[in-house]
Amino acid sequence: MSVRPVVRYPAAVLKSRAADLEPGPAAEAIAADLVDTMRASPACVGLAAPQIGVGARAFCMDVTGHRKARSVHGLVVLINPVIIGREGGEVTREGCMSLPDFTGNVRRAERVVVEGLTPQGQQRRIEADAFEARALQHEIDHLEGLLFLDRVESPTTDVFRRKRYAPPDRG
Amino acid sequence: MHVSVTAVGADRPGIVAAVTEVLLDHGANVEDSRMAILGGHFAMVLIVALPDGSDPDALGAALQRPAKSLDLVVSVRPVAEVAPELATGAPYVVSVYGADRPGIVHRVSKLLAEQRVNISDLATHVVEGDPPVYVMLLDVTVPAGADEAAIEAAMRVLAGELGIDVSMRAIEPETL
Repeated sequence: MSVRPVVRYPAAVLKSRAADLEPGPAAEAIAADLVDTMRASPACVGLAAPQIGVGARAFCMDVTGHRKARSVHGLVVLINPVIIGREGGEVTREGCMSLPDFTGNVRRAERVVVEGLTPQGQQRRIEADAFEARALQHEIDHLEGLLFLDRVESPTTDVFRRKRYAPPDRG
Repeated sequence: MHVSVTAVGADRPGIVAAVTEVLLDHGANVEDSRMAILGGHFAMVLIVALPDGSDPDALGAALQRPAKSLDLVVSVRPVAEVAPELATGAPYVVSVYGADRPGIVHRVSKLLAEQRVNISDLATHVVEGDPPVYVMLLDVTVPAGADEAAIEAAMRVLAGELGIDVSMRAIEPETL
């Protein structure tokens, strides 16, 4: 159990698909390091294993007390998580500890249902909305090797994006 | 050393490729840049790093080739070396819109300057119609210690004078 340095892009582990993880002592050790590292950064509400240099499908999250949170499941640690449902969409400016100095507008589902295993192997299902749903999607993206930059909306044309096309020929 | 490179011309495919080919040939590295179609013209502004000992005039001369073939107005100018400054203050987005009339950009930006608010990004667009609607969006940084409510109130007074709508809201990036 230890606080690990947060890995920053361009570390290859951040851009690779993380490997499935067997429940058990190894998964519990990764989970403990994730939680310790998350707790060590006051503003951190979630951390995926690739962010501590481990290419395994595990993340931790805790949005307790966050002003934008609606659903709050407290500390969540899941391995091999899968998003099995998503609804709605909302654009928010997002940043990432592994990509400091950048923020971007990212569209995420407003509500998600996630299933996965606890590090001990117990099945867990989480229905989340608002900020917690966003955090889940961000962390699970890390397990796919996706950073928020891969999800960013048009950098400058959120409003001006509508293009004028010549009207189609009508014959 | 760093130079600014600007190029503007009627929009068509191939402008970026042609300009950056010349830059690459001169060992120039495109660092920060913005490019957009503005009123049917493709406009690019780039801050470019040149190898030590390079001649910016030689780059400017070489850029005349794509400038001629693509009908671009190109300029190359040395820029002072400045350390990138991290913004201190609070990020806000300001939306300004209403019937188009002269002076909107100037009056709004003057008010912001008087309040020491720094504009980091500004875009305007005229939406044709009767009357045409003018839209201006700004990313700004309100300096630490400034009275944000007072700035917003001043903006509302100005909006009333100009007959336009203004809103201002804090941007709170969420680090995940």
